[in-house]
Amino acid sequence: MSALRFVCFCSCLAVSAACGAADGGFTSLLNGKDLSGWTMLPGKQPAFAVVDGLLETRVPGGSDLFTVARYGNYVLRFEYLLSKVGNSGVLIRCDPKNPWGTGVEVQLLAPWTPYRDDLHCTGSLYGYVAVTNRPDETTGVWHRMEIRCDRNVIEVSVDGRRTTVADTRAVKALDAKLLSGVIGFQSNHSKQGEFAQFRKIEIRDLDADQDYVLAGFSQTDERFRVQAREAAVALGPAMIVPLARVMEGDAVMARSVARQALFDIVAAASAPQAEAAARDAAARALREALGAKPSESTAGYVSWLSGMLRK
Amino acid sequence: MKSGIGRRHFLRQTGAALAAGPLIARAQTPPSERVRVAHIGTGNMGGAHIQAFAALPEVETVALCDVDSVRLAESAKRLVQRKPTAKPETYTDYRRILERKDIDVVTCATPDHWHALVAIHAFEAGKDVYGEKPLSYSLREGQRMEQTLRRTGAVFQLGTQIHAEDNYHRVAEIIRSGALGRIGTVRLWKNGGTRGLGFPPNQKPPDTLDWNLWLGPAPYADYTPVRCHGSFRSFFDYSGGVFADFWCHIADVLFMSLQPEGLSTVEARGEVPGDGIADTPKWIDADFAFKGLNVHWTTRPPQVPGAEKMSIGAHFEGEKGTLTCDYKSRKIRIGKEVLDDLPDVPVTLPRSPGHHRNFLDAVKSRGLPESNLPYARKMTLPMHLALTSFRLKRKIVWDSVKEEAIGDPAANYLLGRTNRAPFV
Repeated sequence: MSALRFVCFCSCLAVSAACGAADGGFTSLLNGKDLSGWTMLPGKQPAFAVVDGLLETRVPGGSDLFTVARYGNYVLRFEYLLSKVGNSGVLIRCDPKNPWGTGVEVQLLAPWTPYRDDLHCTGSLYGYVAVTNRPDETTGVWHRMEIRCDRNVIEVSVDGRRTTVADTRAVKALDAKLLSGVIGFQSNHSKQGEFAQFRKIEIRDLDADQDYVLAGFSQTDERFRVQAREAAVALGPAMIVPLARVMEGDAVMARSVARQALFDIVAAASAPQAEAAARDAAARALREALGAKPSESTAGYVSWLSGMLRK
Repeated sequence: MKSGIGRRHFLRQTGAALAAGPLIARAQTPPSERVRVAHIGTGNMGGAHIQAFAALPEVETVALCDVDSVRLAESAKRLVQRKPTAKPETYTDYRRILERKDIDVVTCATPDHWHALVAIHAFEAGKDVYGEKPLSYSLREGQRMEQTLRRTGAVFQLGTQIHAEDNYHRVAEIIRSGALGRIGTVRLWKNGGTRGLGFPPNQKPPDTLDWNLWLGPAPYADYTPVRCHGSFRSFFDYSGGVFADFWCHIADVLFMSLQPEGLSTVEARGEVPGDGIADTPKWIDADFAFKGLNVHWTTRPPQVPGAEKMSIGAHFEGEKGTLTCDYKSRKIRIGKEVLDDLPDVPVTLPRSPGHHRNFLDAVKSRGLPESNLPYARKMTLPMHLALTSFRLKRKIVWDSVKEEAIGDPAANYLLGRTNRAPFV
């Protein structure tokens, strides 16, 4: 177990190093200068800009802003400020082509319209899950929001207090939504002159955490097992040794997910266009897994996989 | 070995005599002209072989073999019920059957991962083989089968019994006649795929099953019932799922009709099941580029007229019209006309006397049966490439002369497998 933690620790370091600004596993999504890493779909007036280091939306009904990268399980935190009758929102796990159909909006709303009940106020999963603990909705001041997407559980906190807890499986319409997708900010949904500002937008990608991913192999819901397998494959050769260790365990379900993930990682590393470093890392990790003297069937599988990397 | 060849020589003479002389009533076949048959694998398809061969007058069923002693005893009982004179010897290990010099023919209805080895060992022991589909577990095994067949002069028929029926022959005549113009695209499909089979724990194999022998050349795995009888095709260790089960049945009509050559790329997409230990495709779609012909495989019926009502099918797209068929039916569409046949296209292909009969005739004449090994291997090869592309999640660029993936050592690696000792 200590070895596993050590591997995990190293991989977190690697992720942090790659992303630059990081704090407790959090990575900034906004560079404070421009919209690198973000995209606005063509067809509508661009509604977002970085002004004095702040992300700002003023154009009413303009184009919404989406991350280029996709995320499944994560903790997103940011600060927001709404103008007097501001209206915006955060779109999670969505396809930018149909964000409200495929994903969910966490509402950001000034308390000004008739639609300000607990199902539609700041912190609600707009129209699906109401807040149980209404946040401070004062406009013109900065608030802090944290959204945690943890497989079937979505939690929202405002200013350090949890406002909303949703089990996606308990709400039929939510259960049919995507389990991963891009993150979006809604353009000014109020009238001309209103605005919303954002800063300190940071994410901790839970699917980059080896322990979190491995725990997903035992989820009773098939969709989360598949998601965890895909996350493991995305982590690449660094997962080979931990996966081989899972194959030595007693849990049939986890073993079976690990087996497929191992195959997919080695298959990707064996691709003609794969980088030599990835191929070498995979080959090294397979040797390391064999060095741990696993059972006959695991050893047989691992050495068979290593044949895919021979030139 | 020698006596096996001697016996075959005798049969060859008999075949010539039969061809030249008057038709001998089969029921009166004298003992010396009998074909002595052994069946290896006595499950569903094995049971069908036992019955089909027992119905042929010159066949004497002398041995049955299965690694499952319960199945073995049941199949022997059923055979004797059908043919009270039969006195089959029963075996667990097929190698004991191949040692017997008095056996001419073996049928093989083992799980896929045993197909090639049983056939190769049988060829080497001087036996002819009627083998179940798919031809082999891996592409390289198929090559080895063909090499051994050529070296030994054995006769092999792939058990694609639909090949023998009238419909595929008629489709081939219509397609080859050019009545639909040049065919640029063929769509093949079979509904459904592998289900996950849950997460059952491993357990001790039953005393009546020789699990080690069942696994044979496949990697060692602990026993759990779903890995074995009935659902072994759900595992890449032994097969390639519903796709591997049905590919050759429906690809057969494509190969009979067009003899596609020059395969250059294969690209498959799909998913493995997430609801169990099975790892073969839940769905698989694949594109094959032959010389002048694109072939597409799908798990759901393609968007062509009538396909939604057919669980398996082939759809030929010609310059002048289309033909959609399955095992028993065909529909030709030219403009707005929908026809079952084109009477102007002459009947040119000789019809089969039946798939098992055709095989026995070839055993006697030493000729090529209708689903002979070189034909069956060409037809099976794209299946192996699609499964490899599915597993690697990438396109395979294929050298159809060298039979090698170009620039992709891992693909070539997956097209073969080192057998588990001592099953080589």
